[in-house]
Amino acid sequence: MVFLTLSCWIRNRGPDRFWKVQELLKHARHFRGRKNRCYKLAVLAVRRAFVYATKSRKLKKRNMRTLWITRIAAATREHNMKYPILMHNLNKCSVQLNRRVISDIAITEPRTFLSLAKLARARQQEGFRAALGDGKEPSGVLSRVMLQ
Amino acid sequence: MSVSTRFGYLQSLRGFAALWRTNGVRVPLHPLLSLCAARTQSSVSGDLLPRTSLSSPPWSEQTSFVSAEEERSRHAAVVSTVNDRIERQDFGRLFAVVHFAARQWKVTNEDLILVENHIEAECGDRIYLEKVLLVGAEDFTLVGRPLLGKELVRVKATVIEKTESCPKIHMVFWKRHRFQKKRTIVQPQTVLRINSIELYPRLS
Repeated sequence: MVFLTLSCWIRNRGPDRFWKVQELLKHARHFRGRKNRCYKLAVLAVRRAFVYATKSRKLKKRNMRTLWITRIAAATREHNMKYPILMHNLNKCSVQLNRRVISDIAITEPRTFLSLAKLARARQQEGFRAALGDGKEPSGVLSRVMLQ
Repeated sequence: MSVSTRFGYLQSLRGFAALWRTNGVRVPLHPLLSLCAARTQSSVSGDLLPRTSLSSPPWSEQTSFVSAEEERSRHAAVVSTVNDRIERQDFGRLFAVVHFAARQWKVTNEDLILVENHIEAECGDRIYLEKVLLVGAEDFTLVGRPLLGKELVRVKATVIEKTESCPKIHMVFWKRHRFQKKRTIVQPQTVLRINSIELYPRLS
């Protein structure tokens, strides 16, 4: 006589629950409190952590750029100049260095940064001289004074 | 391409300062000064006109005039000193700013660079990095406008490693809307080692 009903009542709910839970808990092991041990709390915390990581990958680029700009501004003010003047004149000289590299140069290569600042200052003076002019009439323009 | 040296610019700065001090800075004010001096022995020293927003122009008046020939001679002196240095290969370690893979890198010898994309070269291939924006040594800098010539600078690199990045998780979650997406991003990476930066004497 073989009893078959008992074995029909046993359910196999799936052999992998332990590993699926561990896959999520491994991302939570460095958290504080019960969120690093208990699955229900860890699910929410891990989801929040992933979303924050995704958003801050975009924010990091913005923050780094403002940091570079702050550093370059501080370095130019040591040389009696301002940040917008430096960048505008370097653009006009068609020197296409980006802010990350200029801030690295300002930190590690002070002499090169000084030379860039002087280049910008010279270009600024050239611009002033071109704008102020010699005091003569521009060519191709006739004024009443000249006609008389 | 513009060139700058420590010595040249320091000399020119000192020259400018001397000129500025010896020349009269504000010529139109002189007749006023003399008139006031002739009228009274006033004890007011300093500004004789009250300083308003319109008493002086908004730009600084420090433009000391250097004649074109003098400027050209100074520039020629600077260029010749830098040329001598390059011919004698008298500099120590060089650094360069290189444009590569849509980014600019400040690079020296024996540097490692991690580039976040795929490069069409095998491991162990030697590469020239051609877009050089700036080269500097201890005493001089060569600034490209915007690039320096290929005959002037040569940056050699080797491809060391081609791997994939660690898996980054891109997750979007919108609360109270039952909206959640998760995706794993793995990007190819390449590691380059900068072997050397060489300067060849051909400045003009």
